[in-house]
Amino acid sequence: MSHKNRSSRWQRPAASGIAVLLPLALVAALSFTAPAQQQAAKMTEDLPPGAMQAKATTACTECHEARIVLQQRLSKATWTKEVDKMIKWGAVVDAADHDALIDYLSTNFSPDQPAYEPPRTSTGTSSGSSSGTSAEKPSGKKTSK
Amino acid sequence: MNSRRNFLKQASAAALAGSAISPLLSWAASQNSTIDIPGENGLIVRSSRFLDLETPVEYFNTWLTPVPHFFVRNHMHEPSELDAATWRLTVGGEVEKPFTLTLAELSKLETHSVVNTLECAGNGRSLHRPQVPGIQWGKGAVGTARFSGARLRDVLQRAGIKPAGKHVMFRGLDDIPGKVPAFIRSVPLEKALDADTLIATHMNGAPLTKNHGFPARALVPGWIGAASCKWLTEIKVLDAEFVGNFMSPGYRFPNQPGKPGEAVKPEDTHPVTGLSVKSVISGPLDGARVAHGRVAVHGTAWAGEADVVKVEVSTDGGTNWNAATLGHDRARYAWRLWTYDWKAKAGDYSILARATDSQGRTQPSTPVWNPSGYLYNAPDQVKIHVA
Repeated sequence: MSHKNRSSRWQRPAASGIAVLLPLALVAALSFTAPAQQQAAKMTEDLPPGAMQAKATTACTECHEARIVLQQRLSKATWTKEVDKMIKWGAVVDAADHDALIDYLSTNFSPDQPAYEPPRTSTGTSSGSSSGTSAEKPSGKKTSK
Repeated sequence: MNSRRNFLKQASAAALAGSAISPLLSWAASQNSTIDIPGENGLIVRSSRFLDLETPVEYFNTWLTPVPHFFVRNHMHEPSELDAATWRLTVGGEVEKPFTLTLAELSKLETHSVVNTLECAGNGRSLHRPQVPGIQWGKGAVGTARFSGARLRDVLQRAGIKPAGKHVMFRGLDDIPGKVPAFIRSVPLEKALDADTLIATHMNGAPLTKNHGFPARALVPGWIGAASCKWLTEIKVLDAEFVGNFMSPGYRFPNQPGKPGEAVKPEDTHPVTGLSVKSVISGPLDGARVAHGRVAVHGTAWAGEADVVKVEVSTDGGTNWNAATLGHDRARYAWRLWTYDWKAKAGDYSILARATDSQGRTQPSTPVWNPSGYLYNAPDQVKIHVA
């Protein structure tokens, strides 16, 4: 797949003090073409397929979503420490599944795997969302007086 | 409007070219995908549950970071119930007169404002090698805002600190999953009594949003973000540092730099407190193609409790360094914007930035690896093409 020159036009946020320091050349340098569209990602991710997928999902995602696992790139020794810490913190893992879970995690999320590509929160202008997520709508609103 | 993360994708795609496409990649890659999270605009989603959002570096062009672009770091789930009317803040421990405050009572205390650069101790964790566990922050778990609220010392002095009181503990209302230890930490009394340490209720002039700790959070300026407990509900004066997971083994740094990948004994560590000296390039972005001629290399630099005195930019991979111009907006605990006016000729370049502070600290050419990946502060680097 090629992403060459697939950059986007990007509006700089309103600058305060530094604005006077930024010469026009910068603006020229920041001008790009070809806008890219946003696509909805899942709110929470899934763990990868495999014999341990279901059990890992139970063990890990009771407390946190899968992305926290997906972004790790760790050796088997470090995965072992993490799994044992999480069991201490309440992750439900049958003793019989302990080693298989570590194998599953350290195979899928080893240091030589490419980095996980995270989504972004929508910018509220081009996502097609009707919820109007925007700067003007603080999430704490409903609880504040 | 879309961001320019495509450049990063381009770079990682290029890095993969020639190697077999991993099954993981085809399953995990999410080109240009977005999630609607109200109030959080254009942020990198490290986790949606619990919420961990990172600011893309291209937003670091303003001295104050707008709240919708400000990184969010939660260790646990956000409180399910937050009600300004029933919220209470208790003050107790080694004090003469324990008491409880309502939000209305807290709001009546004298208000003080501090412009503070708040940075997660783990910012830059993903750049450490070997990689370490934790949220894989890139460069943007940092932001600057004007925090306002009562001074913590006014509240502590009203309670009357007993001579035994040496540390001040904060507890938030986070919903704790499983058997995870509560997110409780403490700061030494001296820092708690500093005139700039706040019980903040406002950020950039507006009430705190839920994601930033509504209705009140601690604000410990110049220190790692973890010191500034959100959804604050209890302040307790202790005779010693709080004992708990997030004081040890959490948030500790080796006394002496060790070999990357090597374990560090707990007794050879100390708590992480003030931030390191650090800079980030906010443009041109990594992977950018720009026209030859005048190019402004720009970014921001901070140093926790110290002042940034110098930012230098190298356009040749770190051989020669040139002084950048610091922006005029400044405050004791706030970052400085900077820019370097570069006359660029066609070619491929590796551009670096490094800051030096008033304590004589300079960003080290090699990051100090540590098992939890805290305080990454090697010079920032972007690779660009000038046409």
